[in-house]
Amino acid sequence: MNRNELIESASMLGPFNQEAVLEYTEKIDRLVVIMNETMASRPDVNELIGDNNLSMMKDNHANHARFIASVMQNFNSEVLVDTILWVFRAYRSRSFHSSYWAAQLNTWMTIFEKEFTRETYGEVRRLYRWMQVNIPSFVICSDEKLSENKSMHLTD
Amino acid sequence: MNEQDNLVSDQEKFTEALLKGSYSKALSIAHKYALSHDMIKIFYEQVVKPSLYRIGELWEYNQITVAAEHLATSLSESVMNELYENIISEDRVSKCVLLGCVETEHHQVGIKMIADIFEMNGWDTFFLGANMPTSELIKFSLEKKPDLIALSLSVYSHIPYLEKMIIDIQQKLPCTPLLVGGQAFNNGGDEIMSKYQNVTFLREFQEIEKFIINFQPL
Repeated sequence: MNRNELIESASMLGPFNQEAVLEYTEKIDRLVVIMNETMASRPDVNELIGDNNLSMMKDNHANHARFIASVMQNFNSEVLVDTILWVFRAYRSRSFHSSYWAAQLNTWMTIFEKEFTRETYGEVRRLYRWMQVNIPSFVICSDEKLSENKSMHLTD
Repeated sequence: MNEQDNLVSDQEKFTEALLKGSYSKALSIAHKYALSHDMIKIFYEQVVKPSLYRIGELWEYNQITVAAEHLATSLSESVMNELYENIISEDRVSKCVLLGCVETEHHQVGIKMIADIFEMNGWDTFFLGANMPTSELIKFSLEKKPDLIALSLSVYSHIPYLEKMIIDIQQKLPCTPLLVGGQAFNNGGDEIMSKYQNVTFLREFQEIEKFIINFQPL
């Protein structure tokens, strides 16, 4: 899928139940801590995120949580897709491997299943499943711009 | 070279000056535009803004460091401060605006540009800068009694902070209209602002002049 197709596909995700959004917002700071501990303790973490990128990974988890809370509160498919593409470009250009997103989303889902009510988990799962399924499309779309920018050089 | 080519060339030179950390080069470009308010607005909209967007893009692609990006932002603000004496208008209109960024928001160049446009139009401005705590903004507003409060945000995930800020301000200052804008809304989200009364959303930098001219207090 290209960007426009991703936006069209994402447009069917919203709106989200506001009680679920409230639970997500109330619990997410604590869940970010669990997320960071779980991901940092993985033996393959350096393969997923590159060397010396732990603090950047933790920043990403905190930003991810804030962003998902706001996008579920006020759903906008274009904002969702363009922000995910920006994240893929910014982090992949700093050695994050595309497998990181699969690992990250799986870990979020495992944590959510334990921590959220069944109703909230069902709402959140819809969005996270969509992100998981579309990782290959996000990789391809971000590849286009990353390769365009490989030829950019600053003048001295 | 025609006017458009000159602008593109200046924008490239300004970007380069920011990336090299050369304040003097950046300032020499700015001085070419200091002759009139209209020229300064062109400088902001067509030189500074695209340069900073370009620098943000270079960070995104890992071609510059965070430090280089922060230096570029800081130099841009210094250059804008240097233009201040060319910005203030002698014709004052007895109106006052208070401007700041939403709590947790650290990007203040855009709202600083907006503050300067109000100054050009004879308004008194209180520029409160980045990451403005809502309670402090309200306390300051109760003291200064501005005709308008302008809020900016660059990051979409800060919209819930903005919404909370709007609700809190409107509780304490129900007669003070709000103006909202910023890069956070580049890909959408402005429809959220239509939920609130007495809140004007401006998408484009150019819209501010028209807003100021037509401004009517509540």
